[in-house]
Amino acid sequence: MLRYFASRTFQAVIVLFIISLIGFALVANLGDPLAALLSPDATEAQRAELAASLNLNASFAERFLSFFGGLWRGDFGISYRTHEPVAHLIWDRLPATIELAFASLILTLVIGIPAGVHCGVHPKSMLSRAIMFSSIIGVTLPTFVAGILLILVFAVKLAWLPSFGRGGVVDLGFWKTGLLTASGWRALILPAITLSLFQVTFIIRMIRTQLLEVGQTEYIRFARARGLTESRVWYLHALKNTLLPVVTIIGLQLGNIIAFSVVTESVFAWPGVGLLFLQSIQSADIPVISIYLILIGAIFIIINLIVELTYPVIDPRVLRSR
Amino acid sequence: MTPILEVNDLTVTMKRPFRTLTALDRVTLTIGKGEVLGLVGESGAGKSLTGAAIVNLLVPPLRQTGGSIALAGRRIDTLSRDDMRKVRGREIGFIFQDPSTSLNPVLSIGHQLIETMMTHLPIGRDEARRRAIAWIDRIGIPEAERRLDQYPHEFSGGMRQRIVIALALCAEPSLVIADEPTTALDVSVQARVLQLLKDLHGETGVAMLLITHDLGVIAKMADRVAVLYTGRVVEIGPTSAILNSPHHHYTHGLMKATPTPNMQTQRLDAIPGSMPNLAAIPSGCSFHPRCPRSDATCRDHLPRLSGVESGFACWHPLSAGGTS
Repeated sequence: MLRYFASRTFQAVIVLFIISLIGFALVANLGDPLAALLSPDATEAQRAELAASLNLNASFAERFLSFFGGLWRGDFGISYRTHEPVAHLIWDRLPATIELAFASLILTLVIGIPAGVHCGVHPKSMLSRAIMFSSIIGVTLPTFVAGILLILVFAVKLAWLPSFGRGGVVDLGFWKTGLLTASGWRALILPAITLSLFQVTFIIRMIRTQLLEVGQTEYIRFARARGLTESRVWYLHALKNTLLPVVTIIGLQLGNIIAFSVVTESVFAWPGVGLLFLQSIQSADIPVISIYLILIGAIFIIINLIVELTYPVIDPRVLRSR
Repeated sequence: MTPILEVNDLTVTMKRPFRTLTALDRVTLTIGKGEVLGLVGESGAGKSLTGAAIVNLLVPPLRQTGGSIALAGRRIDTLSRDDMRKVRGREIGFIFQDPSTSLNPVLSIGHQLIETMMTHLPIGRDEARRRAIAWIDRIGIPEAERRLDQYPHEFSGGMRQRIVIALALCAEPSLVIADEPTTALDVSVQARVLQLLKDLHGETGVAMLLITHDLGVIAKMADRVAVLYTGRVVEIGPTSAILNSPHHHYTHGLMKATPTPNMQTQRLDAIPGSMPNLAAIPSGCSFHPRCPRSDATCRDHLPRLSGVESGFACWHPLSAGGTS
């Protein structure tokens, strides 16, 4: 058990290290920090001073180590565009993205799991057919089209909900939340639905397929042959066997939601890190771009680590193969 | 002898786009209280199907379309889904073939035993747990209390099959259907599992439908034997009579194709040809194309079973000694 945890954690740290290396290679090789950070009429002395403070004359390895060390201290470098610390920029925007991501994750789970279980247990019922039919829409419709359609209907035609921004925000000191104001909640609805549309249909289809497959196994037949009730057979015997892939996918989906909120954030002018990322690309703000990539990578790794640490709880066979 | 199970003219069919295939054709058999009936035949003869049909666990498109099944005098093939569920496990236990796939891998064996008993018996969790430990001990797995909370993958194949047997018997059914209970096991553990089955049968007096293609298992376990060919019972009777002097040429062929301990150098005689599939069952006696003794009668007319307790379905039966 302990060995399993240790080896998973060790692997996560290694991947994180590699991602940081790639991120740093971007910063080190693209753009000219001196030109970006100094005014055009800066003196040679100012250039030399900045180069020294940024440690530009050291070797690639040395600079990477100090960059990597800085990551752990929260020192993410300086933005070429705003000349602010990158850490500050990101931290300013992160709460908006996290709140949006979790809102759509909760939406995804609350709708997706019951609907998926229903479709798997009663694949021929009218409701299942209706769900499967409408889920095709969710799979095929691109996120930005869905977002624009929702804006058209609920913001433009019906004028029920705002089409952009985050509404009123309350600053808790360490976290700016939109969840404490009515306008914040109203502003959250459309982007959260947009972001979860694809995820919901994906989860429904996966749980359904998994349940249909597990429903054919011998241990389900044996459970029936022992006269266990249908609800016990499905909700305990079958569902527990589908949990491993489902938890894995839900974890990856949460990562996807955060990473792909770029599109949704730009459609709804949502002031999150995705929007920051787009702005940074437009102005070739390499430090912010690379930190964003490292951050997304880190989020994926951490979620994945948490998911893998839950495996032994779900399926004791995971520990055996190690 | 009052039969515990009476299967009468059981017919199972499968609808195909242009025709209906008959998988079981008027199968009739009875099992007395505490009796062991062996059911033998080649793969695809309908042995497992008979077992599945009795507990109403046929997989669509297979469906029972005729006949009746009665347990202790009560028809069970017309019961509602929920009433039939209460029969399964409680009155008819079922032992599956492959213990590596029939136990749920993510639930401990104690959990599976306890839930089965609590579903059917009016006992609480503590009593169910106590009985579960007793069962694990009874099937010969040491340290029962510790092993109760272990998962199927922590047991060997032979142990798993013994757990499957305990699961089938733990709610004290009066009949157990054992579908090839030793086929998936190593030869070295087959004998022990068979012995356990025999011991438990002796202790509990449970009647048994023993489905197998292994005549050695039949000789050791069964009181009577029914021989199945293309979904029809072609011969039924007491084990010693069937094994020593079969009347049907198919039964005779099966015997000759089975090795016995005291035949070292003799060649085994395979039955020529192979069993036809469901879509092409021959007319008349379905065995006639492979039978050494067949004639026009066999080709055109279906022979009926000459008796339900003991009988054969053949126009030209072998007399004792193996000649026709």
